[in-house]
Amino acid sequence: MSAGADERLQAVRRLLAAARAVAADASVASELARTTGLSPQGVAHALAHHLEHDPTEAELASLMTYAGEAEAVLVILSANVFAAALRAIAIARAASARVYVRPSRREPTFARALVRASDDPSLILAEDFEPEALLAGEIHVYGRDETLDRVRARAAPGVRLRGHGAGFGVAWVSRAADLSSSARALADDTIAFDQRGCLSPRVALVEGDAARADAFAAALHGALGELQTRIPRGVLSAGERAQVAQYVALMQFAGHARSSAFHVVGSALAAAPLVLPPAARCMHVAPTADVASARELLLPFTRFIVAFGADDTSRAADLAPAHARLSRLGLMQHPPLDGPVDLR
Amino acid sequence: MPPHAESDALHARARAFVAAYEAGAAMPESFDDLACDLARFQAANVPGYGRLCRARGFDPARAQRASEAPAVPTEAFKATRVAAFAESETQAIFRTSGTTLGQRGEHAMRDVRTYDVAALAFGRWALVSDLPSKRVPVLVLGPSPERAPDSSLAHMNALFARELGVPASSAETYFLQDDILDVAALDERVARALMAGDEAVLVLGTSFAFVHLLDALGDAPFALPAGSRVMQTGGYKGQSREVEPARLRRELAQAFGIGERSIVAEYGMTELSSQFYEATAVSPGAAPGVLIEPPWARVVPVDPETLEPVAEGDVGIARICDLMNVDSAFAVLAPDRVRRVGAGFELLGRAPGAPPRGCSIAIDEILNTP
Repeated sequence: MSAGADERLQAVRRLLAAARAVAADASVASELARTTGLSPQGVAHALAHHLEHDPTEAELASLMTYAGEAEAVLVILSANVFAAALRAIAIARAASARVYVRPSRREPTFARALVRASDDPSLILAEDFEPEALLAGEIHVYGRDETLDRVRARAAPGVRLRGHGAGFGVAWVSRAADLSSSARALADDTIAFDQRGCLSPRVALVEGDAARADAFAAALHGALGELQTRIPRGVLSAGERAQVAQYVALMQFAGHARSSAFHVVGSALAAAPLVLPPAARCMHVAPTADVASARELLLPFTRFIVAFGADDTSRAADLAPAHARLSRLGLMQHPPLDGPVDLR
Repeated sequence: MPPHAESDALHARARAFVAAYEAGAAMPESFDDLACDLARFQAANVPGYGRLCRARGFDPARAQRASEAPAVPTEAFKATRVAAFAESETQAIFRTSGTTLGQRGEHAMRDVRTYDVAALAFGRWALVSDLPSKRVPVLVLGPSPERAPDSSLAHMNALFARELGVPASSAETYFLQDDILDVAALDERVARALMAGDEAVLVLGTSFAFVHLLDALGDAPFALPAGSRVMQTGGYKGQSREVEPARLRRELAQAFGIGERSIVAEYGMTELSSQFYEATAVSPGAAPGVLIEPPWARVVPVDPETLEPVAEGDVGIARICDLMNVDSAFAVLAPDRVRRVGAGFELLGRAPGAPPRGCSIAIDEILNTP
């Protein structure tokens, strides 16, 4: 490894240590609860369980390889889940000794705290840094497609743009799965960040008939209800509440909706087109006869699937899009720190 | 009573509303009476509606008012079949336009006559009822029904061409082929109408078709006979540049050499059997932008979360009761923002999705992805 690469690797290690310190800072947690709308318990849970600050050496090596080397990197963070800032900044720092970090205007807390805690002169908070001001190197932009397009249009010639867009996760429950434990694991994946992450599962495909899928939906409804008592859902906007209400009305017609004040599990009829529920602890459960019919159901959504969770990852590998992160249920929100979460 | 017979009887009662309207007579029964009977029929024969009623704790047997019955989200027409009859009995299927996901809503009809009489009666009133001629040339800036057999708009346009228009061939009526507007043929047809001394023509089209026409014309005038009418409907769906409604009305009036009040907006959707119109062409006091319901349909703005009616004058999403939807869903919930104004309602555009938080993708984003 070159001296430059070694310096950057050590800087990433220091950044991870800083992340551990930030995660233990009660004032940051309190501010995150205020700015994100997650419940205080939801923030604490995310900081404790979904901040990837302890990678293996192999994962770090993979991260360094992915990052490559750049003269400078501008990291533009959008309103992704707050923990995503750690991975984004780590990738940028792995690539360069000059990193400008532009936090999300709506959710700047974690990124700011992380950069400050890192005490790394190579990490520069640059809240008003415009894309065209970077004359050489890379722009790493996180956000929705229109954000990526805007930044791409403004990037200086010769500057490489690495974009990471929005997406969602899919869960696959095979015929051999134990429904109860699978439902508990999927509930864990669902409640992280109140389902706002691009890894968050929104659809669960259950191999078998409609009755089996409905039994899984009932188990998931119970598991989400139990988790609500420990990790309550945060506050929804009026628009989000409206989307939830309309999803409930849709599924009351087009299948079955199990809902509480804090989550919804919709059960689809066999062979019905897939419905993507709102991201507010809402899960759409659909029966699929086999892998082939599951693949057909997912086909229109393939390019948007970022994560794929399953009880049987070897069988799921035939079904998951090649670009999706494949993991066991319960681990969908624990992607190794080996590169970006979005591998599209 | 067997479902067929019950459906036939309900169709007859629905069409009696239209007949009474056309005769200028009192409605044959109350809106609520027919609506509640439709609720009972649909709860018993449309499986999804039965589920929805049970989930909402609504007992159709006890219903007394249309407003008590739950409405079916328009998305349901994409997710499952919304019909009170077997597929083998289908007389017509209208489909919504496609999306990125390839999902299209389907509205199956067992007896399309009810759609036809209702569409024709109210369209005639809004578009040509004050014209001296009983029939006028009808020019459609859209495909023929043969080219778009599953489009409810193409069906309605063809109905108007047949029932309101002078006899004309398909080439003299439809001016959109394979998404290309044949401006030369349209120009020739209008010229013939002018030479024949026609007092008016009726031009039917979507907003984007009219924008394409305006773009093709540039600054050149395209005068229609003085008493002509234009029915403009629908949004843009990415098929042309978007033009603000008042500006489109103004530019069309200028290009066609007719008054702005002769440009009539229509609001309809595949999931309904009734349409709504501005009354500007036929009612001197009618305000532009205010859509009027026929006596057999009601539009109520409801809170998008509680689905309960909002206060008078407030904006809500559209809950539409359509007594002509006999075999599907007489109460539909559409994601369009509406507000009651006087005797009608304003259409304020599609209800936007909630601003996304985090990087989990919203369905609107997927649908807007090229």
